[in-house]
Amino acid sequence: MDLLAPSSQHTIGPFFPRTFFSDGDNDLTRLHAGAEPTRRGETILLRGRVTKEGGFPCINMILEAWQADAEGRFNHPQDPEQHLADPDFLGWGRAWTDAEGRYEFRTLVPGGYDDLAGRRAPHINLSVMGAGLMRRVLAALYFPDFAKANAADPLLKLVPEGRRHKIVAVPDGKEEGLRVFRFDIHLRGNVEEETPFFED
Amino acid sequence: MDTNFPPQPLPDRFEPFPEGIEPAVPIEGYPNTWTHTPAQPLIRRPVTRTEATGPLELWRKLPCDESNLAALGPGRIAQGQLMHMSGRILDEEGRPVRGAVVELWQANAAGRYYHPIDQRDAPLDPNFVGNGRVRTDEGGRYAFFTIKPGAYPVPVKDTWWRPPHVHFSILGPSSLSRLVTQMYFPGDPMNEWDRILQSIPDAAAQQRLIARQTHPAEVGDGWIAFTHDIVLRGRYATPEA
Repeated sequence: MDLLAPSSQHTIGPFFPRTFFSDGDNDLTRLHAGAEPTRRGETILLRGRVTKEGGFPCINMILEAWQADAEGRFNHPQDPEQHLADPDFLGWGRAWTDAEGRYEFRTLVPGGYDDLAGRRAPHINLSVMGAGLMRRVLAALYFPDFAKANAADPLLKLVPEGRRHKIVAVPDGKEEGLRVFRFDIHLRGNVEEETPFFED
Repeated sequence: MDTNFPPQPLPDRFEPFPEGIEPAVPIEGYPNTWTHTPAQPLIRRPVTRTEATGPLELWRKLPCDESNLAALGPGRIAQGQLMHMSGRILDEEGRPVRGAVVELWQANAAGRYYHPIDQRDAPLDPNFVGNGRVRTDEGGRYAFFTIKPGAYPVPVKDTWWRPPHVHFSILGPSSLSRLVTQMYFPGDPMNEWDRILQSIPDAAAQQRLIARQTHPAEVGDGWIAFTHDIVLRGRYATPEA
């Protein structure tokens, strides 16, 4: 069969409409702003800053999160346990950065799961899009709670050892009774500074 | 709105983008590409479940009910050339992607965005916001009523111009099929001067970002009409029986 070539990526630009955002878009614990939060799993706040070369903040960057539910399941046919996935959890959210480059998600600590490539440690996938990014930038963040699972994660193992700590979120106290995690994304810098990113 | 489509096989194979299709960066005259683009090599990884899956019920979070950008309300018609914009979302095997979320945004007829960051000295249109969101139907089709956007200069030291273009954001069945792209208009000489379109190395890939104009009678004669198909990444490891 003749394959079609995928359409080229372009930058999302500086003008992704703010009118596209509604309350609750960055809250993964609810299907939508009017829905009750899911009762499964631990709700957390995930916060960070997006910075560019020189450490300057990036305004109006768009971040999209995708993750498994609290038991490590996806509501998707490619999950053999789709029927057990949390029906009140979509696994997706979107946020944008303010003038200081800050973003925030409210979400659940995801579960790990077995995959053909090996057992995946709990993680959240983040796509970053914005002016100056002709292609989206793909990050994944892990949690310090699961050091043993992290050490065995087949994808984290691909990150050079000295850089792995950069994609483990940092505990940052409690707020509203919820644990807060910090995950800063440094788009461009030297090997000590830049966040490790994955190929699309 | 019908929100449930019958089950269908979903792509489970994702190859890297073929050569020449992805933009070459950084881009001369686009300073942000020099300060934002990662400098370290990207890490190649296998596709596991988390990359191959994606939200299938995104319409529950993102309302997909905004297809008419050309009228803000009764009697509030946007200025400019009224335009019907339609097409299909396909995967790499040419199968329609059903239920994909399609977001479209654009400048007004004067080339200005309804966005606080766009402070250019061009008029805003009180009847035009310029964004819409729909879901594709069973045939993978989307359609919007809008106006043809204007061109605008990029506010950098050595100014260059963006040709009229429409932004698309498509959320398909996998996080690897996520696509943000732009669409251009056929026959516009400005396309050849646009540093963003020209950053795509492969000439055929550039051409695939340019829409096709169709006869207005196809959409009722009240609008000029363009059609544009968009291909998301994704193939099938197992051929269908």
